[in-house]
Amino acid sequence: MVEEIRKVIQELLLKVSGLYCVLITDRDGVPVLKVLTDKAPELATRPAFLSTFGLAIDQGSKLGLGKAKTLICTYSQYQIVQMNKLPLVISFIASDTCNTGHILGLEKYIEPLLANLTVAVADTQ
Amino acid sequence: MGCCYSFFCNEDGSPQRGEPSERTHLLVDPVSNNSNIPIYNSEDFLSNSNALPKKTDEQSALNRILQETATNVIDVAALDSHNLQQHEYVERMRQYSLKLQQACASNKLPPRTKMCLLQDIPAPEKVLSSESVNPDDLRLINSAVTRAAAAISDIKVEHKEDMVVMFRVPD
Repeated sequence: MVEEIRKVIQELLLKVSGLYCVLITDRDGVPVLKVLTDKAPELATRPAFLSTFGLAIDQGSKLGLGKAKTLICTYSQYQIVQMNKLPLVISFIASDTCNTGHILGLEKYIEPLLANLTVAVADTQ
Repeated sequence: MGCCYSFFCNEDGSPQRGEPSERTHLLVDPVSNNSNIPIYNSEDFLSNSNALPKKTDEQSALNRILQETATNVIDVAALDSHNLQQHEYVERMRQYSLKLQQACASNKLPPRTKMCLLQDIPAPEKVLSSESVNPDDLRLINSAVTRAAAAISDIKVEHKEDMVVMFRVPD
């Protein structure tokens, strides 16, 4: 079953050119499910980096603009899109030239798969 | 209503003042009555009902304000990134994979959403990337279809016999 979810995400990953990895983690950056290609930068997949999203959305929600849903960071070589699905966080790491809209479009395909992952994380915490 | 009329009566100094008329207000001086209503804050009610010593109340209210302010302030320098220890990380990862296996065993995966518009074609990229139809063929198809359509529209029912036939019941 877990492999099925992984396979579906793997297929989605291949559909977007320039997307290197999809990480589904808890808010501390501990991975629940990882789908990586060999081009994924190792440092960006570490919890120390991924957990900053949790802090950022906590602070961002104080701006009076409502709850933060998605964070998009573009760097010189990569772009990181992180989605708030608390208790889960979905992180996409892609090349800087990857179409950001395509990455955002994956949300509706990944969302139905999250139910079991959410249960796993919610039980543990 | 009463409020409005009483206001106008005072303004124009009506000669009928004191006597009941269509302008006499039914409620006695509603404006001044309204102004006497004391204004309470919700906090006053809380402090009165609890009947605790006032100083503690003030202290707790101040603490609350301080707390609220602290949560509303975005203090980037004070953000402490809670770094997980390696063993904690490994332990949690193990727990997640275990729980995930359990959750997946008990719950079925939801039916997959439509991934592709051309679901009935197994390899749409091959079909789409194949050469387009020859213009001559296309013209032939178009003319054939046009003629077929014209022929179909010409189809008529030929009337030969009476539609309603009387059954002759033998006497």
